[in-house]
Amino acid sequence: METKQETPTKSDLPLDGVKVAAITVVWAGPHCTQVLAEWGAEVIRVEPVDAIQPYSRGAERIAPREQLIEMANNGITLSAYPDFEPGDEPWNRNPGFNSHSRNKKSMACNIMTSEGKQAFLKLIKEVDVLVENNVPTTIEKAGITYDTLKEINPRLIMLRMPAYGLSGPYKGYRAFGTHVEAMIGHHYLRGYPDGTPDQTGEAFTADAFAGLLGATVITAALRYRDLTGEGQQIEMPLAEGFLSNLGEFILDFEMNDRVAGPQGNTHHSHAPHGLFPTHGVDQWIAIDVSEDSEWQTLCEVLHADLLQNDTKFATQLSRFNNRDALHKELAKFTVEYDKNELFQQLQVAGVCAGPVMDDVELLSSPQLINRGFFEELDSPVIGNYRYPGIMTKWINTPNTLRTAPPRLGEHSEEIYKELLGYSDLEYKELFEQGHVGDRYPDHLLPEFLRAPQ
Amino acid sequence: MTRQLFEGIKVLELGTMVGVPYAGKIFADYGADVLKVEPLEGDPSRSEGPFLKDIPNKETSALFLHLNTNKRSITCDLSTASGKDIVRSLIDSYDIVIENFNPGTLESLGLDYEAVTSDRTDLVMGSLTSFGQTGPWKDYKGSELVLQAMAGPMHMNGDPTKEPIKLGGNLAHYHAGLSLTYACILARLRVERGGSGDHIDQSVYEAQAGFRDRRAPGLTSASYTGRSNKRGGSLGRTASGPRPAQDGYANIMAGTSKHVPAFLRLIGREDLAEHPDAKKPAPQMSTTFIEEMEASYAIWLIERTKREAVAATQSIGILGGAILTVEDLLNDPHYQERNVWEEVEHPETGSIRYPGRHFVTSGATRKQMKRAPLLGEHTFSVLTDMGYTNSDIVQLRRTKVV
Repeated sequence: METKQETPTKSDLPLDGVKVAAITVVWAGPHCTQVLAEWGAEVIRVEPVDAIQPYSRGAERIAPREQLIEMANNGITLSAYPDFEPGDEPWNRNPGFNSHSRNKKSMACNIMTSEGKQAFLKLIKEVDVLVENNVPTTIEKAGITYDTLKEINPRLIMLRMPAYGLSGPYKGYRAFGTHVEAMIGHHYLRGYPDGTPDQTGEAFTADAFAGLLGATVITAALRYRDLTGEGQQIEMPLAEGFLSNLGEFILDFEMNDRVAGPQGNTHHSHAPHGLFPTHGVDQWIAIDVSEDSEWQTLCEVLHADLLQNDTKFATQLSRFNNRDALHKELAKFTVEYDKNELFQQLQVAGVCAGPVMDDVELLSSPQLINRGFFEELDSPVIGNYRYPGIMTKWINTPNTLRTAPPRLGEHSEEIYKELLGYSDLEYKELFEQGHVGDRYPDHLLPEFLRAPQ
Repeated sequence: MTRQLFEGIKVLELGTMVGVPYAGKIFADYGADVLKVEPLEGDPSRSEGPFLKDIPNKETSALFLHLNTNKRSITCDLSTASGKDIVRSLIDSYDIVIENFNPGTLESLGLDYEAVTSDRTDLVMGSLTSFGQTGPWKDYKGSELVLQAMAGPMHMNGDPTKEPIKLGGNLAHYHAGLSLTYACILARLRVERGGSGDHIDQSVYEAQAGFRDRRAPGLTSASYTGRSNKRGGSLGRTASGPRPAQDGYANIMAGTSKHVPAFLRLIGREDLAEHPDAKKPAPQMSTTFIEEMEASYAIWLIERTKREAVAATQSIGILGGAILTVEDLLNDPHYQERNVWEEVEHPETGSIRYPGRHFVTSGATRKQMKRAPLLGEHTFSVLTDMGYTNSDIVQLRRTKVV
């Protein structure tokens, strides 16, 4: 907990030496600690092994291979294990979990038991930051609040990320990302202009924002602590972290009483602006033209002489006013092209356009590969795979992913003994009582994973 | 001792439209001193709208007013030698410079990171571009739609029988701007702890590829399985997802939850609650059971408002949310009770509500939000503080430098 005395050098990561404890589930909290870990923080995940923490490692819904393949055929792969094989420890092979947990450590500890709570309070003495994003009552039930923790560690920075807040009518509301999207106005706004909200599908945009904003505020709070000596609690509901992203729609209502309808792919002045079909099944290119010269170039690349000479489409305003006809006509040309070839031809000619890329296609993006975005990590329980890397480059501070996603409880022994000062005997007792370990008890697991009787 | 979170940090913003101005706004809203340098005609977001009464006016564009609270503004033509001099000497007295010129532009102006750090090591420069400062696509054009399509989760959004749809508004640029903010405060922390600054290269494209809204997890599962996520995966779940209520739609996770028997009792189907299918996971329920549940749920829901339906199902532990419009949002009692909106006075619009704080801190303080600057509002005071005389400034105005 001592502030680092030595002067950081040019290539030191900014959060080197900062320790973070995490009691996080689903997406927002884990994303926050992901980006803290990427920039040097030592992140310790506090997670039970004697109970399954829901919406974390996917262990509450372990599916066999056949079911995962069927789900992938229906377009859902977010919980599909490497090669669809659950293996003996599926909770260590979940892509949703592994995509955020690289660089982190896993400490077996159930804060709802007295042994777990005791270890957790020892951990709080040693860390700079605590991040949690449970329903507010969860950690309150365990007696873990900022007021009690600051007595143990006055320099602690505690980030709480409830869905809607620690007060107010929706304090106790339970929500996944998709429900928060509804309650912040985003679901309605992003629908099809001619459709209904049941066609929109789910999104978890507020989780992504909350994670990144949480890490930003924690970093600012570390600086504040350097200057004042004081820690603090930060309450950042997912809903509130997101609201300013819709500021222009909110001000439009305030100024003009206008209730913005579903926006889809529309733009208020650009035309053409939208997705256009290209050769193949469900293949699309996005085209966004604002200037007349760009429109002329687009027509030249597509050899669309008739459109180029059509006075209905000659100016930005006339194209915008005739956009339905324009989009219909343009689609007849784009559908003849391969989306990647058309993208290159249009961009080289100076037209703003780009193909819709699915996950497999984006893995081979020449731009991402050239910039070293993907990184390989090897783990005995996962295998050697590429992962999306760090989304920001610092030109003079090279940075890479450091360690593979942690196995459940992988770092318990090191943390209990070296950081928290447990003796060999004390640790052995915790292990024998099932408080630490690296596997959930058989009775919580599906049949096919249990040890043979 | 209390202070604001970013108090004492000086940020120079050479930014337009959404991404960099959003980064500047976060700094400014929490106490940093943010000076925005605009071209003579103003940040293009001043011409973007929506405008007060739909009349184009550079002082009433909602996008600009929202993104530039708490900042000061000067205008300056960077294509002139005197304009470059002004910005060059401003950079020397700032801690963080954020900018979104195309790659190579600052270098051609002699204002690139190397040039402006020849005699200092503590400058943080945050650069935001569509595709990054390097790579085969660095000079390609990007826009909100195009970048969401290329690297965001757009392939998963919408109905499989229709075209994919983007996320709302300018989210890819807001997100990249936030990522840039995070990088800049990290680098500033390193400087204040005795280390060096850095030049940060943030692209919207990579921020989308690392986006936690399904893209980074999707890339991981694609790497694991060779398969991609597709549209439609979340549609058509049993008595779950958006359904019509009396006044709009509610997204309630009923049929796929553990609470189906309680849910059936809530909607007046005690008889069905006792049915053996009520305790089974949704994929194992019989078609007749599902049809009966769906039919009763549809009637129950259409007789209630979306918020009433959500409150009732929340009370038995079921996850859900009402699909709110912007109007619902601004009238919602929860957000009003939590004071998330902030009245801001402006000479053209009068006093209107803005999205206010993003979070609540127990230590750091936050001040009442100040309106966005009028075009060039602070040109005179900033130049005076820099040591320019009145006659210098008159000359700079006459030659259209400021």
